[in-house]
Amino acid sequence: MPRAKIYGFIALLVSTALAGLFFYHSFYGPIAGGIFSSLLADNAYYAVAVPLGFLVLIILGTGFWIGWTILTIKVAPPMPEIVEKKDYAKPKAFLLCLVTLALLALFAYGVYLKSYWALALPAAVFTIVVLGMVFWVGLAIITTRATLPADKK
Amino acid sequence: MRALFLCYRGNPFCGGQGIYLYYLTRELAKLGVEIDVIVGPPYPDPMEKWAKVYRTENLNIWSIRTEHFGYEKLTRLLSPMNFVDYFLTRFHIFPEMETFSLRAFNLTRKLLKTRRYDIIHDVQCLGWGLLPMKGFGVPIITTVHHPLTKDREADFIRDATFWEYVTTTLFYPLTMQRTVINRLDRVITSSLEGVEELVKAFGLEREKISVVYNGLDVEVFSHGGEKREENSLLFVGNTEDYKKGIRYLLEALTLLPEKIKLKIVDDGPPQRIGAWDLAKKFHVEDRITFTGKVDMATLVRLYCTATMVVVASLHEGFGLPAAEGMACETPVVSTTSGALKEVMKHGETGILVPPKDPRALADAIMGLMKDKKLRQKMGKAGRKRAVENFSWPVAAKNTLEVYKDTIAAYRSNR
Repeated sequence: MPRAKIYGFIALLVSTALAGLFFYHSFYGPIAGGIFSSLLADNAYYAVAVPLGFLVLIILGTGFWIGWTILTIKVAPPMPEIVEKKDYAKPKAFLLCLVTLALLALFAYGVYLKSYWALALPAAVFTIVVLGMVFWVGLAIITTRATLPADKK
Repeated sequence: MRALFLCYRGNPFCGGQGIYLYYLTRELAKLGVEIDVIVGPPYPDPMEKWAKVYRTENLNIWSIRTEHFGYEKLTRLLSPMNFVDYFLTRFHIFPEMETFSLRAFNLTRKLLKTRRYDIIHDVQCLGWGLLPMKGFGVPIITTVHHPLTKDREADFIRDATFWEYVTTTLFYPLTMQRTVINRLDRVITSSLEGVEELVKAFGLEREKISVVYNGLDVEVFSHGGEKREENSLLFVGNTEDYKKGIRYLLEALTLLPEKIKLKIVDDGPPQRIGAWDLAKKFHVEDRITFTGKVDMATLVRLYCTATMVVVASLHEGFGLPAAEGMACETPVVSTTSGALKEVMKHGETGILVPPKDPRALADAIMGLMKDKKLRQKMGKAGRKRAVENFSWPVAAKNTLEVYKDTIAAYRSNR
């Protein structure tokens, strides 16, 4: 069997197992333990925190990577026309690295404390961005003319 | 043999990959290869005579504001893949390669229900979708003329502000390309210089890389007896691309006599103002002409009537204007950057000078201007070199050899 097919099978098994664990701990567990229970069980909390943590890691990791890339650029000196326009790109990149690391540490600490806000805030940001985009596209569709008005033909 | 080509942009007049797809598939078909093509927009000129073409969707919305999409594109945004495209482009990410490769994966999966392929040939997409394609049991090769690291470096040189650095970093999908290219069966590049660049940029093993020189249509690019203009330089390329070195050519123009004029095959103001601003800075604006975007026939005529072609690039994956000029029997003054020193023969088909050296460029131009016989001799030698090395039939024959070698190696390893 080609190696790629083996990877395919592994991907299938792992994703199915993880999906099963997620749905069991995040839905079945809390429902079985009493849906109105004010305290979430550990497993239910982490079933949400882990996938959300990956999302946070990707976004903050991208921010850190951008800062790091700018900090470590090694190219020929810029064009003479550009030099005088340079702003404080490197200090800003350093700041970006610091901020992303700090946010990541804050998130990890929040998860360690099993804080509701550690999950709610990044989830809110992501939801607002996605829904905001859908809203914006919908608004653009509504306010854009489907055809030219008769006098413009 | 049956080959499946994947090309995320197919229009022959927008970027090298479209030209590569069109002519290479045509010549491979003449050699008996059955060709299927999955291609994204802008779509190529009709290729149905020699290939079966499957067109995938892409909205090409990078850098376009939502309110300028138009109604038809807006309504298509709500499909999942287009929304992913939309989402990522709003953060200055260029997702065309990713989404094209995923669409190509889905389409290939359907095609494989009724068709078999001996090889899949990606044309510098290197998207994530190529990785699951490895499960199809077909060797996958890619053509990369030069790694995107070169383009990113050039952009970093132009970038002035923190925000410009951020957008440049986000734009180039280098992590994806590095991951994917190392997992493909073979990589074709268009020069020996390209091999070193790929090794440096992606940590690729040298044994995985084959060199096949690019092709050009030597029947179309040929001198038909047109009268040559005197004191006329020709520059063909994107003036907004720092790597093309227009800045150094304009500076060299200040060191040359007033009678020497420069034609630039690209848009000038108001569409593109970078070169015009530089020309004004160097006080040579009355000696340059912008032709705008031209069709093939006009381009050939410009090559055939120019006294010489000047390639001032700081980097070239191949250097098509040099090869096209040579095919039109026009001597070329070029820098030694990238593959240009392989395309050209110093002293035979033109003159090579170091990059970023306006004085050397001006001296070489002046030396050739003074010697008409040498120009004619170089023109003839250039034509011969272009026909023998850089014609599409030669490129196709060499590509077919790479296919055979890759397939044999793939099957022996299974």
